[in-house]
Amino acid sequence: MADGLVTTLIIVALVVAGVSAVMALLNRPPNLLQVAGLAAVEALLVVQAVTATARMFSGDRPTSMATFVGYFLTTLLIPPLAALLGSAERSRWGSAIVAAAAAVVAVLTLRLQQVWHG
Amino acid sequence: MADRPQSAPARTGTGPGRVLVAVYAFFAVAAGARAGWQLATRFDEAPVAYLLSLLAAVIYLVAAVGLAVGGRHGRRVAWWCCSFELVGVLTVGTASWLLPDVFPRATVWSAYGIGYGFVPLVLPVLGLLWLRRTRGTSSS
Repeated sequence: MADGLVTTLIIVALVVAGVSAVMALLNRPPNLLQVAGLAAVEALLVVQAVTATARMFSGDRPTSMATFVGYFLTTLLIPPLAALLGSAERSRWGSAIVAAAAAVVAVLTLRLQQVWHG
Repeated sequence: MADRPQSAPARTGTGPGRVLVAVYAFFAVAAGARAGWQLATRFDEAPVAYLLSLLAAVIYLVAAVGLAVGGRHGRRVAWWCCSFELVGVLTVGTASWLLPDVFPRATVWSAYGIGYGFVPLVLPVLGLLWLRRTRGTSSS
């Protein structure tokens, strides 16, 4: 996996998680900025997915394929799910959902990189 | 969504409960994607471990739906799922230490869910606590 992309992805996800955690503590529901942040994370995940798939087809495969694909599909589905549930919950807990989702994406991206390199 | 009658238990799918629904949904996807891939490609290697991961994924999904729907029926379903998960993660966690041969491949519940930051161990406890807490607000 491209290291620059991974670093960018983790930083953006952590910023979204941090902002959303502060919003949850301030008793605010998710705002447009947080949803836009989730969209940015998803966009980066899609770029990463395309890059990783291209590399897998060229024979460069992760050490543990099952773990990789499992984490991989999960990361792609998390931001849309969080946007849906977070927007439906018009309270601090909506921000908590966005914060949790973004943090999970950051952790899973880190794990993905470890799994790829074995 | 219409308000429930006063005699019904409190809503489980809103407020902090919605966070639980979200986390359960994440886990259903995570465990399901992994189990699905393993079953499709390497079923012979460790059928017990892979089927267990699939079972865990289904239980997580049912728990998420149960909490989201709420009401008497949803709560009962969620309660059974959380209890099953707790027993499952404790049993498989212990078994994966004592009898590593039975689980040659990691599952969501191996080593008490260490591969998923112990969230599989914490999640059912939070679910049961949440069901208990929302129960007390009604008169039924």
